[in-house]
Amino acid sequence: MLRVLLALAIGGVLAVGASVAVVNVASPTPEPPNKPLYNYGTR
Amino acid sequence: MRTEWAKASRWFAPGSSGDTAEPGAPGARAPRPGALGRRAAAAAPAVLGLLLGMLALGPALGPGFVLRYDMVFVPDPPIALPGQGFPRAVPSDLVVALFSRFLPEQAVQKAILLGIFVLAASGAAALVPSGRLGPRLAAAAFYAWNAYLAQRLLLGQWALLLGVAGLPWAVRAAALGGRLRLVIALIPAAVGGFQAMLISALAVLATAATAPSLSAAPPSGAAPRDSADPSRGPATVSPRGAAGRLRRVGEAGLILGGLSLPWLVPALLSGATTDPAGVDAFAPRADGPFGVLGSLLGLGGIWNAHATVPGQGTWWSAGVRLVLAAVALWGFARLRLRGRPPADGRRGEDPGAGDGGRGAPPYWTGLAVAAGAGLLIACLGAFAPGLVKALIATWPGFGPIRDGQLHLAPFALLQAVGLASAAGDLVLGSRAARARPRPVADRASRTVTVAVAAAVTAAPVLVLPTLALGAFGRLAAVDYPSGWRRVQEIVNADRAPGALLSLPWGAHRAFRWNGGRVIADPATKLFRRRVIWNDELLVGLPGGGRIRVAAEDPLVVRVAAALREDEGERVRTLARLGVRYVLETSGENMFRGGVTVFQDREIRLTRLDFPS
Repeated sequence: MLRVLLALAIGGVLAVGASVAVVNVASPTPEPPNKPLYNYGTR
Repeated sequence: MRTEWAKASRWFAPGSSGDTAEPGAPGARAPRPGALGRRAAAAAPAVLGLLLGMLALGPALGPGFVLRYDMVFVPDPPIALPGQGFPRAVPSDLVVALFSRFLPEQAVQKAILLGIFVLAASGAAALVPSGRLGPRLAAAAFYAWNAYLAQRLLLGQWALLLGVAGLPWAVRAAALGGRLRLVIALIPAAVGGFQAMLISALAVLATAATAPSLSAAPPSGAAPRDSADPSRGPATVSPRGAAGRLRRVGEAGLILGGLSLPWLVPALLSGATTDPAGVDAFAPRADGPFGVLGSLLGLGGIWNAHATVPGQGTWWSAGVRLVLAAVALWGFARLRLRGRPPADGRRGEDPGAGDGGRGAPPYWTGLAVAAGAGLLIACLGAFAPGLVKALIATWPGFGPIRDGQLHLAPFALLQAVGLASAAGDLVLGSRAARARPRPVADRASRTVTVAVAAAVTAAPVLVLPTLALGAFGRLAAVDYPSGWRRVQEIVNADRAPGALLSLPWGAHRAFRWNGGRVIADPATKLFRRRVIWNDELLVGLPGGGRIRVAAEDPLVVRVAAALREDEGERVRTLARLGVRYVLETSGENMFRGGVTVFQDREIRLTRLDFPS
């Protein structure tokens, strides 16, 4: 039972974190999503 | 020797043999599945790898070419021998060109990209010293879906990833022994070229030097668990002890050297130089809140900010990846601590010790050494750049350690195996649980086992979810504008000698038709004749500065000087240097002189009608 609870807790935390990450990346941003930090290869 | 062979082969996941649990292991308590079930279990890691690949590539699997940084595939690629400069795409480009004679180029590229995921997942699963499906799937998922693979994919280094994908198979072959087995396992790395072979060499040599000396194949009449391995040869007896290991290392070195000849010979003949400035340019960078070391431990830390997975640098992603790394290291250490294998190959005295008290798998030390060495090399660029510069100044052959983060591949594999071990502990549960009467244990644990296995398998994806769908648009399929195909036809139809000069004078392009994604100049791969391009690399710094990594091709320096001359003299000098065509992007600072052969809104092709 303890392992079930542990697995559920870890899975839940990961799922929430993943959802937030996906929403953050997928949501519109004022900057281009691929804006380079380093000026590399962009002519 | 029968016992020795049995001891060697039983360490590995029986994916290739169709077994699902070793005799004596706790998993053997369950009823054995039928032949169909065994085949399904054996194929499950590969299928999982395929699904993960489809999820990661997403829109990149549509019609068209996937073009990003070093990943440059072109229509109708010419079959050409290595040119001047360092042979970075040798023999990978040649292999692609050969396959493209029989298959559509786009299909070849997509097959390679999906194959990387399948090979990586199935290989990692095959290294897991457990017959249980849950841990094997955990290793498969982690090795096919981690920050290292994602970053190198976003940097377009598919050739390196061929070696990464084949790495577990190479380690397995080095541990089991057998020359043919090792040659077959190293084929993906050999196709990939120098970077793929370098990471493979590190792990293979370390494993060959530290694995127990065992026979390369079972003696006559033995029934190895790995009976489906196609490389299994006739019965042989390997010498034991230091001499045996030395001989095995020598054999592995010869095989690695032989398979490296396609790029090693051109590299030695190229006269290419290595700029020590590249040490600063390619040093690992912090891509999260835990600094460079924290990034590397989480398998990130690549030098190029364009190559990070979106959202990778957040506290959440970086923190969970670090926790996962800690759990994986603990799991890998647990493999070592689980007692020694029984001498007679039967179940150990302590059935509760891991998977039957079988001790560390034979690749354990070698993989640990390779992972440690890889991590050390990765750290050098950030923490001891002076040492790396001194090494490169002494001998340019040390150049590959400039981009130290790529040597983390064995560390990623170690984490995959360690995570599987930790997952196995979770799935198998406590000794008390294992000691319950079998029917009770089966009833109680079946649901738990499935749930925990599913959670552990999904964990890598949940930790790095934004790799999905081509890293949310970073990878996509596009087609070349018609002008590029027309120029390719014109130039390749011309039998007159002479090189093609590609302008603007920079290594990379960001075409609108490719969504502004940065790619290496595709002109370098389109034509049958020599293409002169500026292989000098500019790397920007967060503070606004730039690092300039000097060109490796000696001819580039002379062409660069010619481009700075006056208009008339420039054309004559370029013709003297053997330039026949100039290809440039329309609308840029246009090249003057010569005869325009083709021009559209995208590109312009000029021919220099001067005797060379």
